[in-house]
Amino acid sequence: MVGVLKRYKRVFLPVVILTLLLWGGSVICQVEPAVLITGVPQGLDLLRQMFPPAWSAFPELVGPALETVQIALVGTVFGALLSLIISLFAASNLNPNRKGREIARGICSAERALPDLIVVLFFVAIVGLGPFPGVMALAVSSIGMLGKLFADAIEEIDPKPLESLAAVGATKAQIIRYAVLPQVLPSLIANTLYRFDVNIRMSIFIGVVGAGGIGFELLMAMRLLEFQTALSAIITILMLILLCEKLSDALRKSILGQEVLR
Amino acid sequence: MSGKTSATTGQGDWGYQRYFQRHLLTGTVFLLILGWSVVDLGISPQLFLSGLPHFFNLVREMFPPNWEVLASGKVLWSVLETLSMAFVGTFLGAILSFLLALFAANNLALSKMVRETARGIMAAERALPTLVLILLLVVMIGLGPFSGMICIAIGSVGSLGKLFAEAIETVDPKPIESLESVGANKIQVIRFAVLPQVLPSLIANTLYRFDINLRVALFLGVVGGGGIGFDLHLAMSLFKYADALAITAVIFIMVWLAEKISDYLRKMVIGREVLQ
Repeated sequence: MVGVLKRYKRVFLPVVILTLLLWGGSVICQVEPAVLITGVPQGLDLLRQMFPPAWSAFPELVGPALETVQIALVGTVFGALLSLIISLFAASNLNPNRKGREIARGICSAERALPDLIVVLFFVAIVGLGPFPGVMALAVSSIGMLGKLFADAIEEIDPKPLESLAAVGATKAQIIRYAVLPQVLPSLIANTLYRFDVNIRMSIFIGVVGAGGIGFELLMAMRLLEFQTALSAIITILMLILLCEKLSDALRKSILGQEVLR
Repeated sequence: MSGKTSATTGQGDWGYQRYFQRHLLTGTVFLLILGWSVVDLGISPQLFLSGLPHFFNLVREMFPPNWEVLASGKVLWSVLETLSMAFVGTFLGAILSFLLALFAANNLALSKMVRETARGIMAAERALPTLVLILLLVVMIGLGPFSGMICIAIGSVGSLGKLFAEAIETVDPKPIESLESVGANKIQVIRFAVLPQVLPSLIANTLYRFDINLRVALFLGVVGGGGIGFDLHLAMSLFKYADALAITAVIFIMVWLAEKISDYLRKMVIGREVLQ
């Protein structure tokens, strides 16, 4: 018994703290295990009301679904371009100015610290409802991750081409075009595709806050208790995500599988 | 790797040509789709410029932030709600994920069927967007942080379960084999051979997931999960921008502090072996 106590002495305090935190958290969240049990029949009832999906709703959902993809696509491309510009200033082998580098890196890490919800709501407040704030929010919220990854990729390149170009008097733009881009483009595109997968999910969610698209249609169907239409929207969303993921996987493989832009 | 230097030996443009030829079709299709999307969404430089005055207006209305919203205690309570939603949700999610991972790991699996089922559940969850999950839960359980908590727990299973299963699969097999050879049952094997090896990585991944879930919890507020995300959305919808800025500052501090704490705990846990 004493041996057991000795063995667990080190974990005793963390376990007590964890238990207290969990208890407090459950109280604040109004956890009622009974609700979980009553929720089961309610869930089954919901499923019964959802089936069969409203087949007639599918043609009307194609437009919003396309809009969601368009927002994600344009937002990701804008975000990647912004990130590329920032990363050129953040990479130590391209920007000898330490202050400038720190500012560029600082922008990226500040954006990473900023929750996406804040970015989205601010853009909705600035440019109003519609797809444009969605595109801007996705673009800006991508620079935290992409800017850092791009800058890291640029810093890891083989320095020889860079030095030889600089030695023969190439301009900054020429160095970037002939020494940097050829080496980093595959990784840039692969990371951008990965971010596209993230952004398509976010694009679905921000429909709720006013960007429109398929997320908004789902919310409306649920609010109006049109559960059959809601199931149609859910099926559309799942197909959308699977298709986009397959597509970006295929593109990523075809791009990473070979050297690009030699 | 001669390709990397070809740009300087004068073959660069030839390489570009070959590259463009190979990706001409993909590139063209992509640019066409991109162009069509931009036009179809009605995005134009004018739209951007017309947003600028709004932006300055917004900034003017936001300052100074209205700190009085914090005085009532409502905002503080919302912060606690969001934190608890993320914390309890992540904890529940980690336990669910661990149970699933035990069934999904190659070296522990009971049968191929069970393993494939467990993996299928995780993959399905990963494909399911959070929005769909929370909207369904709100109908089943009702509005409030409890729905948000369950949503976070279920939403963590896909990624945590996969990470846990991978961690279990890479443990040193010798302790498992020795315990099995002396006739230990499955639970004893898990407790004395698997858990001691994977616990640090489990805790580290769970802490990492907590950082993600805290941001998810903010979003859940908008669709009925309650918490500080809801307060921010409400203040923005009612054009109370000075309130919104104060709430934003609170959210920023909350996220920053939570990340610091989880960073600290992660370092502490990974730095040493646990539960030996």
